Amino acid sequence: MKEGFRQAMAWLHTWTGLIFGWLLFAIFLTGTLSYFKDEISHWTQPEVQSHPLDPVTSLGLAQRYLETNAGHASTWFIRLPSEREAALSVSWRDPNGGGRRGFTDKELDARTGEAVEARDSRGGEFFYRFHFQLQMPHPWGRWLSTFCAFIMLLGLVTGIITHKKIFKEFFTFRPGKGQRSWLDGHNAIGVLVLPFHLMISYSSLVIFMYMVMPASILASYGDSSGYFNDVFGRDEVPKAVAQTAPLAPLTELYAKVQEQAPGARMGYIQVHNPGDRNARVTFTRASADSVAYQRSAIWTFDGVSGELLRRGAPESAAMTTSFTFVGLHMGNFAGPWLRWLYFAFGVAGTAVIGTGLVMWLGKRQLKHAKSARMPGELRLVEVLNIASMSGLLLGVAAFFWANRLLPATLEGRADWEINGFFLAWGASLLHAMLRSGRRAWGEQLTLGALAFALLPLLNALTSDQGLDHSIAAGDWAMAGFDLTALATGLFLAWAAGKMLRAPKPVAKHAPRAAKTVEAS
Amino acid sequence: MLGVALMGFAGFAGLCLAMEKHFNDLLGRKPTGRQLRALKITGWALLLLSLILAVHGRGWALGLVEWIAVLMAGVTLWVFGLPYQPRLLLGAALASLVLGPLLAVLAV
Amino acid sequence: MKSKAAGLPLSYRLAVTSRSLAALLGGYLLASMASVCITLLAPMTQADATMTGMMLSFVFYLIAFIWCFACRSAWRAWLGMLLPSLVLGLINALAYWMNLP
Repeated sequence: MKEGFRQAMAWLHTWTGLIFGWLLFAIFLTGTLSYFKDEISHWTQPEVQSHPLDPVTSLGLAQRYLETNAGHASTWFIRLPSEREAALSVSWRDPNGGGRRGFTDKELDARTGEAVEARDSRGGEFFYRFHFQLQMPHPWGRWLSTFCAFIMLLGLVTGIITHKKIFKEFFTFRPGKGQRSWLDGHNAIGVLVLPFHLMISYSSLVIFMYMVMPASILASYGDSSGYFNDVFGRDEVPKAVAQTAPLAPLTELYAKVQEQAPGARMGYIQVHNPGDRNARVTFTRASADSVAYQRSAIWTFDGVSGELLRRGAPESAAMTTSFTFVGLHMGNFAGPWLRWLYFAFGVAGTAVIGTGLVMWLGKRQLKHAKSARMPGELRLVEVLNIASMSGLLLGVAAFFWANRLLPATLEGRADWEINGFFLAWGASLLHAMLRSGRRAWGEQLTLGALAFALLPLLNALTSDQGLDHSIAAGDWAMAGFDLTALATGLFLAWAAGKMLRAPKPVAKHAPRAAKTVEAS
Repeated sequence: MLGVALMGFAGFAGLCLAMEKHFNDLLGRKPTGRQLRALKITGWALLLLSLILAVHGRGWALGLVEWIAVLMAGVTLWVFGLPYQPRLLLGAALASLVLGPLLAVLAV
Repeated sequence: MKSKAAGLPLSYRLAVTSRSLAALLGGYLLASMASVCITLLAPMTQADATMTGMMLSFVFYLIAFIWCFACRSAWRAWLGMLLPSLVLGLINALAYWMNLP
């Protein structure tokens, strides 16, 4: 638009960043939380006990439970407990049954095989779903979040073009210099963690490419079912013939899979037509076992004779490429410390977006520092900045407080947790509109600091899984959640302190992190 | 993997010091051209070595992913820690230079 | 760079809107056409060619966005979207017709 290529790219970077920044911030933050989806779910459902893993016993228990409780179902699904998921999950589809499209889900205790009456909560699944569906009706949320991912990719590319001294300032961060420091920080986190940023935004596009770029599928296959059959190799499951035949013990089939792939962990086990002569059992290897998704790691058995009918077809090069992007995005293969790094890089991505939004405003506020009133559009951006950042954190905290405080018997309990999230978020928007910018930041961050720092205490008071218990029992998912909440609280308290203490006149442009460090 | 992480950290520290501006700031004296070149070569060599070790230890897929992850984490720590604790980080880089290869050799 | 929308002439705003639409819609058309072109012409199996086309389509969308905001006028932005789309569309039509049984 403006003179010169770099200026034009800076313009594009600035404005796409502003318009999509608020939503991207929310997507990145909730997406980052999703790396600990199972751990969050463990915290939100403390009734589910974790036991040492024993896949064979668990599988036997699952089969016993399903034969007793879902004998007439058309399909069973079994998820074995894993390092990260304590529960033995079973679900089944009964064409004549009730529930969501005939689906029933149960979580079983991995040792006793009894159904656990856990509180109704979406847990980590809520944040995971939100980060790509945005609580919108299907498929709009997916479209919007995928477009946001594209804008992120565009922002990275235009950002690199705009950044004049990417190599010269590779190691540069100068704190305590107001706007300059924010730019340094924005650039440094953007550049140093660039491989992650590029991977995460491009892989989001690959995940939903069949939906957002369907032209190739239409031109080549005519419709998407042919494509999916080719890519994932649909099971041709024969129809039930209404002749009863006992299902082979799943543990025996499991042993056969282990012969073929020693040490393989199972993602889920699917049984079609259980109890029928045409029963089929498929074992799918856990995505934790490889970086890329593997369609070859699927074993299909005749459910009566126990004969191995077929294995998944091997992947071609193009498939491996796209499955690798999907796998990298999800990070299911990551062990504990790599998972923490994933989390840290997610926070870094969130910070790049956040610092960008703060800078947009700070730069323009400088011009109006002397006038008494800020122009309307700047005030709008300020309010949205506050609500989208500190407000979102308050929403997340509200979700967890609701999880512990709502009575277990409440009708629609899981929905009320989500309502708590949105109510707190909405309230923070209202609050940001009523208070001056700095005040609103300070107050919301203070509240957020309290809300997060007190979560471990709340947990200890409302469940028997407080830090004293979890650390002693070595339940690091539970303890890790509490400690992370505490750390988040301390960080927010530090940020709130900056906001509330810093002198008014300088405060206008930007809250800087290092002012006091320099002074001390 | 810790060995790889430490070597990568030391490598980036070397590359940072290989820039005249940072050398001046951190060590308080002017570098000679030879010093800068030596630092640069050492830095790149350490990065390359850590890559080889990562791939050797964990295979291409996981090795490459983990290598990039620890490298990003290390260099971010370095850049954002430098203004606050330069001496500590220099010490850490020196320690990693010794410990990194040692751990890597033990792991192989 | 102007930071304020207020005070900008209408023609400027219209030009920005036009470029945005060119990028959003024209760019999508271009990316789709390029994607189909790769899918139909790449010497791979059907599934592989389709996946490759879709994966690369985003690169074209990205370049299209950059072009639309870097070129000298909104007209050029549209021209840069529609002309290649037309060419690719013709190639695609030909390839599709030849593939028909």
